[in-house]
Amino acid sequence: MKVTSNWLKEFVDFDLSPEQLADLLTMLGLEMEGMELQGAGMDDVVVALVEEKRQHPNADKLSLCRINNGSEVLDVVCGAQNFKVGDTVVLAQIGAVLPGDFRIKRSKIRGEESCGMLCSEKELGLADESAGIMVLPGGFKLGTPVFEALGLKDIFLEIGLTPNRADCLSVLGVAREIAAKLGVRIKTTYKPVIEGTTAVEDVIGVTVKDADLCPRYAARHITGSRIAPSPAWLVKRLNAVGVRSVNNVVDVTNLVMMELGQPLHAFDCDHLAEQRIVVRRSTEGELFTTLDGQQRTLVAGDLVICDGEQPVALAGIMGGLNSEISDATSSILLESAWFKPSAIRTTSKRLGLHTESSHRFERGTDIDGVTRALDRAASLIVELAGGTVSRGILDIYPVKTEPASIVLRPERANALIGIDLPRAEIVDILRRLEFVVTESDDGSLEVFAPSYRIDIEREIDLVEEIARLNGFDRIPTTMPTAMVVSDRPSAHQRLERVVRDVLVAHGMNEVINFSFTTPDAADKLMLSVDDPRRSVIRLVNPLIDEQSVMRTSLLPGLLETVSRNVCFRSLDLKLFEMRRVYMPIKDAEMPREPIFVTGVLTGQRDREDWSHARAAIDFFDAKGIVENLLELLNIPAVRWVSDTPEQYYHPGKSCSIMAGKERIGSIGEIHPTVQESFGLEKPVYCFELDFEKLVVQSRQKRTISAPSRFPDSTRDIALLVSDGVSAESIVSSVRGVKAQEIEQVEIFDLYCGAGIPEGHKSIAVRIRYRSYDRTLTDEEIAGLHAKVVDNLVNKVKVSIR
Amino acid sequence: MREQLEVLRHEALQAIASASSQDSLQDVRIRFLGRKGELTALMKGLGSLSVEERPVVGQLVNTIRDEIESVLESALSAAREQAKAERLQSEHIDVTLPGRRAQFGTKHPITQVIEEVSDIFAGLGFSVAEGPEIEHDWYNFEALNFPPEHPARDMQDTFFVDNSLLLRTHTSPVQIRTMLKKKPPLRIIAPGTVYRCDSDATHSPMFHQIEGLMVDKSVSFSDLKGILTIFTNQLFGQKTGVRLRPSFFPFTEPSAEVDIACVICGGKGCRVCKQSGWLEILGAGMVDPEVYRHVNYDADNISGFAFGMGIERIAMLKYGISDMRLLFENDVRFLRQF
Repeated sequence: MKVTSNWLKEFVDFDLSPEQLADLLTMLGLEMEGMELQGAGMDDVVVALVEEKRQHPNADKLSLCRINNGSEVLDVVCGAQNFKVGDTVVLAQIGAVLPGDFRIKRSKIRGEESCGMLCSEKELGLADESAGIMVLPGGFKLGTPVFEALGLKDIFLEIGLTPNRADCLSVLGVAREIAAKLGVRIKTTYKPVIEGTTAVEDVIGVTVKDADLCPRYAARHITGSRIAPSPAWLVKRLNAVGVRSVNNVVDVTNLVMMELGQPLHAFDCDHLAEQRIVVRRSTEGELFTTLDGQQRTLVAGDLVICDGEQPVALAGIMGGLNSEISDATSSILLESAWFKPSAIRTTSKRLGLHTESSHRFERGTDIDGVTRALDRAASLIVELAGGTVSRGILDIYPVKTEPASIVLRPERANALIGIDLPRAEIVDILRRLEFVVTESDDGSLEVFAPSYRIDIEREIDLVEEIARLNGFDRIPTTMPTAMVVSDRPSAHQRLERVVRDVLVAHGMNEVINFSFTTPDAADKLMLSVDDPRRSVIRLVNPLIDEQSVMRTSLLPGLLETVSRNVCFRSLDLKLFEMRRVYMPIKDAEMPREPIFVTGVLTGQRDREDWSHARAAIDFFDAKGIVENLLELLNIPAVRWVSDTPEQYYHPGKSCSIMAGKERIGSIGEIHPTVQESFGLEKPVYCFELDFEKLVVQSRQKRTISAPSRFPDSTRDIALLVSDGVSAESIVSSVRGVKAQEIEQVEIFDLYCGAGIPEGHKSIAVRIRYRSYDRTLTDEEIAGLHAKVVDNLVNKVKVSIR
Repeated sequence: MREQLEVLRHEALQAIASASSQDSLQDVRIRFLGRKGELTALMKGLGSLSVEERPVVGQLVNTIRDEIESVLESALSAAREQAKAERLQSEHIDVTLPGRRAQFGTKHPITQVIEEVSDIFAGLGFSVAEGPEIEHDWYNFEALNFPPEHPARDMQDTFFVDNSLLLRTHTSPVQIRTMLKKKPPLRIIAPGTVYRCDSDATHSPMFHQIEGLMVDKSVSFSDLKGILTIFTNQLFGQKTGVRLRPSFFPFTEPSAEVDIACVICGGKGCRVCKQSGWLEILGAGMVDPEVYRHVNYDADNISGFAFGMGIERIAMLKYGISDMRLLFENDVRFLRQF
């Protein structure tokens, strides 16, 4: 919404700097989105007189002038020809800066000194095109800044309006806000319409068939007008608020709309069949050509303005080509009406036709302002285009809208805002806003809002007005006294942080991918046909197909992320994502949104380092992170079960992660085919954990034991075992001895190759013995160790090397 | 014997004096004092002496031994000191070589801001609440007093799953879910992911918000101002100016936009704040009575406020990020800076 300061001043007196005006409006809720000062910094551009003009000796097309600026006479070279000695012109003096950052300097043009420049309207930013320099009428004081002399100093304001403030979609509306804030009155300057003798009802007729959509329709008739271009002031004024000039009559309707917020429409009355207007709903399939030349197909229920035969306007949106004002028009029917906002909104939206008019009608106009706008426009049309206004208004307004009574409790208002305004001040604020207020015996106020404030219906709406007008900046800053003890974060919330912290501590970077993904994500993961992750939630209106289904796995997004990073030569990656996936539940309306923790690792294990050789990341890097995580979450009975848990893993290098009997996740090397389909050259290792299950399995309680104060003793065993024997079976065999004195069992070496028979591997185990209550003797240790070895040899079928 | 002892003493002291290293000093110790050393050998001859002479010579042996030992010890100690000094002189490393660093990871900036904001509000007595991202139209719009024809309810703005389910467009439905579950007093914040059909340098189809809600017997707009002032000061610095100006949201009244003094220019006016000196970071207001009606609260006996902020906006301001898309490209060269 655009307004100008000078236009506002026609309705309200104020003396504010541009900054103060911007701040005042912003703090009233009319946010200043842009401000342009016309004529600011242009004080060196002044009114001047041409005293002499002669041919430039060295250039045919230039002249040498002597220009009087009121205090001295200057030499100026000029290229224009449209002026003579004695003309009043516009001189940009040395130091002036014209639009486009054009600085005027002392210069020599073809050998002749020039102390300034005579300006055209274009150079001053007053017109898009101009022929020759600007020649002013006489009578101005020489040396006066020209913008001041011409009254062109102005502030163009662009206001961001919230949808509730339909009343501010006009200069008058914004002026009312300023007046209310400053506590001054709105000026009304309109003269009454001078009418002719012919009665309007003798010339035109109006029938409203669907009064539910059009509760008020008013029309005036003007005859004998001449259609012509608008005068410059009107064109400029419309341009300043972003409206293009058409002709004098159409421009008047637009000017009044901008000024009063009431959209108007002018019909060429000679093109209205039977010289009458019928307001009705359209019939299904009715065709109509709007004045932009587009043929529109209407549906039953669109509100149309018709003449005696056919539609001539889409009510409140756009007029018709068949009845538009043309150069030949002389008889005008001027329409001012109130249409039901939802009706206009529905039609405008369906047709994708949004106009200044529909914008106002669909937000709600002032039903009591209908005839004032009509009168203002009729007067202006006669003033600019001549003609005679027929006597009277046809005003079809069968059921007058009465303002509703709203009860306001001043103490409630004060309590809600947190202020303590006396009742009288509250009454004053409301009256400044032109509300009608009566004070009741019980202390409450009965309030009636003006007809243009359609947003005011309830007590809370009045509370807002009081807070707003009194000023948000005058509301104190307090702390609530309410006693609330915040709940401790749930286990879910706490563990979410623990998981992130642990993964970050292990060198992993958290990523956030979009929750929607591509429909072929499941195929890329080679999920089996009956995999539940294949049933996805689809968006009805995705932006693009790649973002059309809600993800059921974090893995595709992570693999894409790896691929994108590898493209940028970031080859060593440890990434994780901890977010929701979206699983539809059969026969349930709402899906489940469980959180998963998924990590991917690829590239080299450590960063490039001068002190040691680098090695590629493998399965056990991923596993180590998960082991630490599960230990920190205190999840008991963790087992790693190689059962080819997912189609997208290498079958020989993957496993399920179990906590007791619950499968809490999986880990493995990404299947080479999947790896290829994401365009990845190097192996990627992945772990996936169901966070909801981690929360369930995580034990809060930890038992801590005091360390033994007695010395330890370690024994190493080198075992030769066949490939099929797992490390876990060896460790559990040692553990199986169930002696308290076995403190720790570690696999510290794994070897296969030269010296080891085919199909076998050598595993070295270190066992640490220690007792809690004494120093173990060599004999005791030997005895225990013999048992351990015995167990291994007999139960796990290993041989000791 | 005495003469022999004297000779041995002399030889020993000379040997110590001429020894040049710890090793040769150890050799001297072995030669004279060792089990098979010269002094030990002489001691064995004590038995052949007369009963009168034995203690005297024995005494002498001990004296000589003590003397040799003591001289030897100080020579050894001097040699050790010297060796240490030489080692310190000769050893050095290039301390400018990089250290062996364990690689650390990073939380996503969005997560970091959510945690920081949640922590500040935890200190103000707010607990964290959550709700579904695939949400019912009723919670997302209807109960929040969005009229049926509101533009936000359009397919142009909202992702739909079917007629009644959509991707929530804000975290405000968590207000409704919380109020339906609990009676006042309550103070909650609800961080979460939200979605709108929008995609350019300043809009992402998926982004994050934190919602806040406080309802009790007599909560006022001035309390809202108090809470938000403390919050912005804790997040952006103690002296950050805060401004509330009137605005409009369907589910609050009075409503306010909350601006902070521009963190880039300090309020003087710059490109980021569009010369206004202020940056909009929050929407807020008193909960509209219509919302209470939907959750069966008695609007006449309670009051409360709600607020909501965009996490991306805060992250971008805090870290000086100009393009929102950077936050979701997950380039590790970007992520590792946080």
